[in-house]
Amino acid sequence: MEFTLLFLATTIAMLVAWRGQRPLALGLFGAVLIACVATYLHHATDTLKLSF
Amino acid sequence: MTQTRAITLNALSLYAVALVLAAAYAAQFILQELPCPLCLLQRILFAALAVGPILNIRFGPRPSHYAMSLLAAVAGAVASTRQVLLHIMPGDAGYGSALLGYHYYTWALLGFITAIVLVAAILLFDHQFEENKAVLPATGGAFAQTAVWLVIALTAVNVVTTLLECGFGACADNPLVYELLKHAA
Repeated sequence: MEFTLLFLATTIAMLVAWRGQRPLALGLFGAVLIACVATYLHHATDTLKLSF
Repeated sequence: MTQTRAITLNALSLYAVALVLAAAYAAQFILQELPCPLCLLQRILFAALAVGPILNIRFGPRPSHYAMSLLAAVAGAVASTRQVLLHIMPGDAGYGSALLGYHYYTWALLGFITAIVLVAAILLFDHQFEENKAVLPATGGAFAQTAVWLVIALTAVNVVTTLLECGFGACADNPLVYELLKHAA
């Protein structure tokens, strides 16, 4: 579900960048990026099995 | 580099992002390979790469817009590096099919690194940042407008297909079926 919301938020950020106010687009982009990093950290909890 | 030329390059970058998103769909629908959570995150970050060029086309090139693309590209490179490392063990077949010898996440890593290099390269041209609104066509002309709407449409379609794949819960680590379609059947 979080990925659906991230795609939705990115779509909205693009639409605002194209049709809306610039500061709002910047803010939305920042929120999307922070949410992406949080999602990445949430999913990156498994131990990496590296070969070296 | 003039503003007009910079905007044309930004439009071209949007077509490149659209191509990446379309190629991901080709793997999803032609090869019947559903994207994993990390794959979806990389797709989102490719889409996020497009916000900067859209702002450049609408408001004119600004360093802050390029910085947005750089941040998205670095985040994408981190996510794709993580997935490369997850499958680096000898004997690991990797996730999904390989295209020209590389898996999609390896191509994604190369794509994000290419984006970082290209954004850094275009930032070298200061002339594009000089105010000259008379030169700028309103919203970049048909070539740029088509690029913007194409990338927005592809991202919007991803909202629907990701909802179908993951449903309303957490996305499966190794998705094999569309969750919402499974429940509907």
